[in-house]
Amino acid sequence: MLSFIGRSIIQKIITLFFVSVVSFLIIHLAPGKPSQVDPLNPKFTPEMVERFRKEFHLDKPLYIQYIYFYRNLFTGKTVSWKDNQSALKKIWERFLNSLPLFIVGTILTWTLSFPIGIRSAIFRGGFYDRSSTFFSYLLISIPGFFFAYILIIFVVNSFHVPVIGMETFGIGDPSWPRWLMDRVWHLLLPSVLGATGGIAILSRYVRSQMLEVESQDYVRTARAKGVPEEQVLYKHALRNALLPFVTMFGLILPGLIGGSVIIESIFSWPGMGRMAYEAILARDYPIILTVNFISAVLVLAGTFVSDVLYMVVDPRIRL
Amino acid sequence: MMKIMKSSQIHSETPIEASSAVPRRSRLQEFWRLLKGNSLAFVGLIIFVLFFCAALAGLILTSGTKPVFDPAMVRLQEKLLPPLSSPNLETLRPEEIPKLGVYLFGTDDLGRDVFARMLQGAWVSLTVGFVAVGIAVLIGIFMGGISGYFGQGHIRVDQILAAFVLLLGGGLLAVGAIFSGSALLLIGSAYIFFSRWLKKGLGKQPPPKWMKVFFAGVISIDTLIMRLVDIMLCFPSFFLILTVVALLPASMYNIMIVIGLTSWMGATRFVRAEFLSLREQDFVTAARALGVSNWRIIFRHMIPNAIAPVLVSATIGIATAILTEAGLSFLGFGVPPPHATWGNILSDGKRFIFDAPWLTFVPGFAILLVVLSFNLFGEGLRDILNPKLKERY
Amino acid sequence: MTIRKILIFTPILVIFFLLQSYFWVPTYEEQSRGNPERLNEYIAASIGDASILNPILSADSASSDINSKVFEGLIDRDEELRFRGRLARSWDIHEEAFFYVNEKANIPGVGKVGAKKVVELLKRAKAGDLPASDEVRASLDNIREISIIPAREFLVTRHEKKTETDQEDIEVRIRVMAPNRIKLVLSSVDQDVFQSLSSILGKDYFSSFNGGDYLHVDQELGEKKSAAYAREILPSTEHNPIVVFKLRPDVKFHDGHIFDANDVKFTFEAIMNPKNLSPRVADYEPVKEVQAVDPLTVRIVYKRLYSPALGTWSMGILPEHLLNDETLRDEANRVGKDPEKFSIRQSSFNRHPIGCGPFVFRQWKSDQYITLNGFDDYWEGLPNYKKFIYRIVPDLLTQEMEFYAGTIDSYNVQPHQVQRLKNDPGYQCFSGPSFGYTYIGYNMRREPFNDPIVRRALGMAIDVNKIIDYVLHGQGESITGPFVKVTDYYNHRIKPLPYDPQGALKLLEEAGWRRNKEGWLEKNGKRFQFTLITNSGNDLRKAILAIAQDAWRQIGIDVRTDLLEWAVFIQERVDKADFDALILGWFMGIEPDLYQIWHSSQTNPYQLNFVGFKNPQADDLIIKIRQEYDHDRQVAYCHQLHKIIAEEQPYTFLYVTKWTAILDKRIVIKETDEKGNVVYKKITPTKTGSYTFYFNKWIKLPEVPSFALDG
Repeated sequence: MLSFIGRSIIQKIITLFFVSVVSFLIIHLAPGKPSQVDPLNPKFTPEMVERFRKEFHLDKPLYIQYIYFYRNLFTGKTVSWKDNQSALKKIWERFLNSLPLFIVGTILTWTLSFPIGIRSAIFRGGFYDRSSTFFSYLLISIPGFFFAYILIIFVVNSFHVPVIGMETFGIGDPSWPRWLMDRVWHLLLPSVLGATGGIAILSRYVRSQMLEVESQDYVRTARAKGVPEEQVLYKHALRNALLPFVTMFGLILPGLIGGSVIIESIFSWPGMGRMAYEAILARDYPIILTVNFISAVLVLAGTFVSDVLYMVVDPRIRL
Repeated sequence: MMKIMKSSQIHSETPIEASSAVPRRSRLQEFWRLLKGNSLAFVGLIIFVLFFCAALAGLILTSGTKPVFDPAMVRLQEKLLPPLSSPNLETLRPEEIPKLGVYLFGTDDLGRDVFARMLQGAWVSLTVGFVAVGIAVLIGIFMGGISGYFGQGHIRVDQILAAFVLLLGGGLLAVGAIFSGSALLLIGSAYIFFSRWLKKGLGKQPPPKWMKVFFAGVISIDTLIMRLVDIMLCFPSFFLILTVVALLPASMYNIMIVIGLTSWMGATRFVRAEFLSLREQDFVTAARALGVSNWRIIFRHMIPNAIAPVLVSATIGIATAILTEAGLSFLGFGVPPPHATWGNILSDGKRFIFDAPWLTFVPGFAILLVVLSFNLFGEGLRDILNPKLKERY
Repeated sequence: MTIRKILIFTPILVIFFLLQSYFWVPTYEEQSRGNPERLNEYIAASIGDASILNPILSADSASSDINSKVFEGLIDRDEELRFRGRLARSWDIHEEAFFYVNEKANIPGVGKVGAKKVVELLKRAKAGDLPASDEVRASLDNIREISIIPAREFLVTRHEKKTETDQEDIEVRIRVMAPNRIKLVLSSVDQDVFQSLSSILGKDYFSSFNGGDYLHVDQELGEKKSAAYAREILPSTEHNPIVVFKLRPDVKFHDGHIFDANDVKFTFEAIMNPKNLSPRVADYEPVKEVQAVDPLTVRIVYKRLYSPALGTWSMGILPEHLLNDETLRDEANRVGKDPEKFSIRQSSFNRHPIGCGPFVFRQWKSDQYITLNGFDDYWEGLPNYKKFIYRIVPDLLTQEMEFYAGTIDSYNVQPHQVQRLKNDPGYQCFSGPSFGYTYIGYNMRREPFNDPIVRRALGMAIDVNKIIDYVLHGQGESITGPFVKVTDYYNHRIKPLPYDPQGALKLLEEAGWRRNKEGWLEKNGKRFQFTLITNSGNDLRKAILAIAQDAWRQIGIDVRTDLLEWAVFIQERVDKADFDALILGWFMGIEPDLYQIWHSSQTNPYQLNFVGFKNPQADDLIIKIRQEYDHDRQVAYCHQLHKIIAEEQPYTFLYVTKWTAILDKRIVIKETDEKGNVVYKKITPTKTGSYTFYFNKWIKLPEVPSFALDG
C-alpha cells in the first residue's frame, strides 16, 4: 500500500513536470502576442513595446522564461500582466466565486441521478426507462448556450426578475435571509444548466451499474431466499453498484477549476472559467499557465484520491 | 454508414461466432433485428441517415460557382424575413430569387437564405465531426494497440538517451543553433544505426558488462503511453481546445485537428483494454504459433475484434465534436466564414433573438436533433454490441 | 425503506429550496418602488472589465470610463467641442521663437552683420520703416519683444555606439561655442514667423546657417552624424510655444489634500518616467519642461510647434503626495518588493485611485463591478447620483435581459434593438455620430491598387447607403474623409462617391480591365483577383466583408475573403503590409493630427500608414495642420487635405456609426435655478452628440415625469 502510494506520487510528479512543459510550449509558441506588446496601438511606441517585452522576460530564451515563470509560481510572486495583481490571489477570489456554483451543481447532479438511474434500471425497457433515456440524451445533446438563452429569456420575460450575476444589483442592504435567498436564486439557473449534462451522464451510468449488478449471483441468491424485492434492490444490489461511484468523488475535484466558460460568460458569473477565458483573449500568459498548472495538480490529485479510495472500499483490490 | 457496414462484416469473421450452434442468421441480419428492437436507436439511425443525405445534398447544391442554393448571396432588402415568407420579386434581380420560391427557414440579418446556409452548414458540421473523430480514433487505435500489444516491452536507457539527443538536436535547430543542433541529430541517428548493427553483429551474445547500464529497461511502453494519456487528461479539454484555437489562426482545419488531437485518450484506453484481454485468447495464441507476424496479428485479428467499443465512442464523439464546434462558435472561435456551420449561424443569430427568433431556433434545434440522433444511435449500438446484454432483448 | 425515501426526498427538498428563492427576489418595479435608495444609484453595463485605474497608465476604454469620473484634467471640451477650464480656470498660449545670428549670410541692403545690427533691423521693420507684404506685416505685428541671448560656450556629452552591432558605448564630448542668438517673444503662435523674417533678412539667412562650424567633437564621427548633432544642438531656428495655466483654487483631492501646481508637474514627470511605461509618452514628448511658477500657475514650454498639445491636458491629474518617490519606496518596503524596481505601475493606487473628479472610488471586484460614490467636496458641486456602479456583463444579450430586469440603467444597446425599443413608452433613445469610421483600405504598393481610378471604381461598386440602411439599421452616416464628422475640420462640400456599378465598370475599362467570356474582369490575360481580409469577432465588419465580396463579384471581380484573429491579423498581415485590401476602422481623436496614419514617412512595416499613401502635397498639409495653433487656418488646411484624400481614394470611406443609447424615461436632468427651485429637464444630447455631457445632473425619479411622456 505504502509503496503504491509512494510510486504513484513520484509518477504524478513526473507527469506534472511534463504537463508544465507542454502547456508552456503551447502557449509561448503559438502566434500572437500579449496585448501590451501589440504594436498597432498608436499609443505604444516601439521602445515601449521593447520595454514591456523586457518586463515580461519575453526577450529571454524559452527555457529561461520557463524557469522564471515556475520560480515565481512556487514563491507566489506570479502577477497577471493585465493588471499586475497577484495571480494566486486572483485565482483564489475566482475560486471562491465558482465554489457555490460547483457545490450546488454537484448536489443537484448526485441527488437527482441516483433515483432516476435506479428507477430506470428497475423498470428496464419500460416507458419510464425509455423516456428517461430519451431525456438524458436530450439534455446531453442540447447546446449549452442555446439552452441557457432560452431559459433566461423565459424567466426574465415571464417573471421580470433578474437572473444574471451573483446577486441582484442595487438591492441595497436587505435583511440577511433575503440576501441569502437572492444569492440562491442567482445560483439556480447556472447550476441547473451546469448540472444537466452531469445528471444525464451519471444517471445513465447508475442505470448500467445497476443492470450489471442485477445479473450477479448474490442478487439472484437473495431473491431466491425470498428477501423482499425492495430490500434486494436497495440493500444488496445498490450497495455493490455504488462501489465505482465512491471513486468518482476523486474525479469531480478537477471540475472545480475547469468550470464552464460558456455558462459563466452568459451569466456574467465571475468564476474561474471566465477568468481563464479572458486571460486567453488578453494573452495573459501567467494567468493561463497558473490556472493550467493548478488544474493539472487537481486532476492528478483527483485520480490519486480515487485510486486510494478504490483500494480502501473494494476489498478485492490489493496492490 | 460506411462504418456500420464495416463493423458488421468484421463481426461475421469473429471466431466466437463461427463456433455457435444456434440456427444461422448472418451477423448483419442479427444486427438489423436488434436495432429494430431498440426503437430509440432506430429513430436515431434514421435521423442520422437523413442528416447525412442532407449534408451530401448540401455539398452538391451549395458549392461551385453557380450553386443551386447560394448561401453567400446577400440580399439586404430581404433581411430578417420569417420562415416560409416569399421573396419580394420586384426588388430582386433574377439570379437573386431563391430557387424554392420561398425562404424555407427565413433570412438572416444580411438577407442570406438560412435554408441554404443550413444545408452548407450540415456538410461542414458533419466534416468537422467525422474528421475530428477520425483523427482521434486513428491515434487512439495506434496508441492503444501499441500499448496493449507491445506494452510489456521496456524502453532501454540507450533508446531514451538517443531519443533525448535527437529531440534536443531538433529543438536546438528550431531555436536557431544550427551547428550544435545538426551535430546532435547526426550523433543520435549514428547511434541508432550503430545499435542495429550491434544487434545483428552480436547476435545472441550477451553485451559486455559495462554496457549493461545502457541496456537496462527503464520504463515499459505501456506505462509511457498511459502516462502520456494522463498528461493529456490533465488539461480540461474544452479549455485546452479553446486555448489552442484562440492562439492559432482560425480555420476549419485547425479546429478539426485540434478537436481530434485532444480527444484520442478515450479510444486509446478502450483499445488497450481490449487488446490486453484479446492477447491472451486462443485465436491469437494460435496465430502466433503459426508464425504470423505481429503486425498481421494486430491488423487482421485483433483490431477487428477490438473495434466495437471504439465505434460506440466514435459515434458519441462525433456528437460531442459538433457540440464543441458550436460552443467555440459561440465564443467567436469557431469555423470562420465563408463556411457556414450550424454553430456560427446560431451564434450570429442570437443577437436577433427577439427580432428574428428563427435564426436561433432553426440551427439550435437542428443541432439538438442531430446530436441527439447520434447519441441515441451510439447508445443503441452499445447495447447491441454488448454480448452481456444481448440475451435480455 | 429508508434508503429509498432518502433517495427520493433529498432531491425534492433540494429543488424545492432552490425554487422558493424566487419569492425573495425583487422585480423591476419593486426595485425602484420598494427601495428608494436604488433611485440614487446609476448602474452602467460594460462588456469588459477595467484593467488599471490610473489615467497615465490605462489604455482601454473601460478603465478610461472610470478614470474620467474619478480624475479630473486641467481642461476638457464643452458642448461645442471648444476647450473649457476644469482644474485650470484660464490659460494663455504664446510663443518664444529663437534663431542664431548667421554672420556669414548677406542681408539684402545691409551685408554681413552681427547680432545688434540684426535686432536693429528687425525693430525698424516692426516700426514700419521697411516695405513689407501683408503677411509679413502680420507676423511683425505679432512680435512683442526682441532681445539678444549672448554667445556662450558649453560642453555636451553623448553616448554613441561604435558600430551598428556593437553593444559598447563610447562617450562623445562636444564643445559648443554657440554664437549670439536672438529671442523673439510672440503674442500668439506663428509657424510662419521665420518665413516672414526671411523676406527682411534674406532668403537663405536661416537655411545657410551651419551649426557644425561651432562644434568641436573629440571623436571621429561620420559626416552624417556630425551634421545630425549640429542640427540637434544648434538648430538654426526654434519655436517654443508656451502654455500658461491658471489653476482653480481650493480644489480638493478625495482624501482632502489640496490640489496645486506641483500635482500637474508631478503628473507630467510620472508620464515621462521610463520606469512607469506610460502609454501616453508620445503625447507629452514635445514638452520641454513644466514649471510650477506658483501654487496656482503652471507654465508649460514646448520644444516645437505641436498644436494637438493643448488637448492632452484633459488628462486626469494624479495626487503627488500619494505617489511621489518617498511614498512609493515606503509601499515597496511594506510589500517586500525591490524599491529600485518599484514604480507607479506596481502601486496599489491603481486599484484604489484617488483623484479630484466628481466621484470617489469605493470598491472594485474584478469582473463584477466597480463602485464609485459622489464626492461631497467636488468643486462644481456634488453630483445628483450618490452612487455610480460600473457593472461588467460580458454578453450583449444578457446585458439586454438585465436591463429589462431593472438591474442595469444603461447598456451597449445595438442599433436593431433601438429600432425595436424606440416606440416603447418606458424608454428614451439617443443616437449621434461617433468619432470612428470604417473603411476598406487598399495596399497601394500592389497592382492594381496603385491606380486611383481602380480604387475609385471599387468604391463606386459598393452601395454604402444600403449598408447603412440595412446593416446599421439606419444608425450610421456616410463619410468622405478622415476627419471627425461633427468637427469643423470635416469638409462637408465633398460629395460621397455615387453608387454606380456601371460607372465603375466604365472607369475600370479606362484602366484597361475588360470582361472575359466567363464574365470576370481581365487585363493583359490576368484576372482581377484579390483577397479582402478583416479581423474576426466584429459582426459589422464580417457583414461588410460579405457585402463587398458580393458587390465586387457583380462587376466581375474575383474576391476572396478571409477572417483572421486580431493578433494574427495585425502582426502577420497589417504590420507587414501583407494584404491586398482590408476592412478596418479608425477611432479618431478630436484633434485633426493625421501624421501617423497619412504621412508618407509612416509607411514602413509596423507603422500606421500601412496602405502606403504617399502624396507630397498631403504631407505638407499634414505638417502644417500639426503646427498651426489658429483654429480657422487649421480648418482651412484640413479642408484641403480632406479634398486631396477624397480624390486619391486610398481608402473607400464607408461610414461613421452612430452610437446608440437607451435609458429609462424616469431618468432626467435635475437642476437648481437661481431662486433655489428644483427644475427637472429632459435629457437631450448636445450639438456634438454627447448625451452624457450633463451626467452629474442626472437623477432617476420614481415616476415618469409628465414632460417626458410625450416623445
